[in-house]
Amino acid sequence: MSSVTRTSAPAAEASFARSETFRTFALVFAMATPVLYVICDMMNWPLFTYHPGTNRLDLGFAPAVKNEGPAMYWYGWTASTLIGSAILGSLATLLPEKLANRIPMSLVWILPIAVLPVLIYSLKFFWRW
Amino acid sequence: MAGRRMDFIYDYISVTTFWTILFTVHALLAVALLGALTHQAASVLMPVRAANGPANFVTRFRSVHGAGYATAVCVLWVITFLFGAWIYTKYRIQIRIPIEQAGFWKTQGVFELKEHYATIGLGLLPIYWLFWKNAREPKYDAPRKWLTVTLAAMAWFIFLVGHIVNNVRGFGS
Repeated sequence: MSSVTRTSAPAAEASFARSETFRTFALVFAMATPVLYVICDMMNWPLFTYHPGTNRLDLGFAPAVKNEGPAMYWYGWTASTLIGSAILGSLATLLPEKLANRIPMSLVWILPIAVLPVLIYSLKFFWRW
Repeated sequence: MAGRRMDFIYDYISVTTFWTILFTVHALLAVALLGALTHQAASVLMPVRAANGPANFVTRFRSVHGAGYATAVCVLWVITFLFGAWIYTKYRIQIRIPIEQAGFWKTQGVFELKEHYATIGLGLLPIYWLFWKNAREPKYDAPRKWLTVTLAAMAWFIFLVGHIVNNVRGFGS
């Protein structure tokens, strides 16, 4: 007879939640997301451009084509941001534990608030009376 | 694309009905997310320390076990986001263009801000989940509290802006 050790879902979840590697990844991922998103938005760096009128995708930034409707960049900014943040988060897991533990945790909620004025400024086209 | 693969549905329901159903599901998911996050935010801002006489509505509202909401909040944020991203393709052509033609520039501006914060919220979910799954770790108390309040404020802003933008043209238009 063979015995099979089963790991219950809650136990696996608990061990994942206690992982120092995941903690460092999630911390840097959260801090990088607002910063990279603002950079992608301000610099106009979408991973791809979606043209809803023709259902077409272009890699990177592509302007709207005349008579084919608008171009959408938000999907591309989101993709660029999440991939960039995941890369930075993964790189952070290579840091020595002593250094990783010194990353200020308060930045995870301060940075999303701090980027608000920049995002409002980036939308200045719409603030007309 | 998904839109073209879903075309068979239009044999059974109208295009307007299809998108109205999608939007309604998106709105209901957002309500569930908002409720969960608001309960959690109340529980960390005004924790119930000890029973002091009979509990009133506010006491019961804030005395929830916040950790039990964490996974649901993450799942709801992601699913609501995906529905919103799907509806956005239709919005960009059918709603935004008339909004601009009508000169509702500020309405469109706050909608763009809402989309920005929906993405930023996605990035906060893994650490939010970890903070709540380690609710007995005192070192996470302060960041957990303020991150939860920040996410709740973002969810309220996103929800209210979505509601206002929907009102510009009215349900089913």
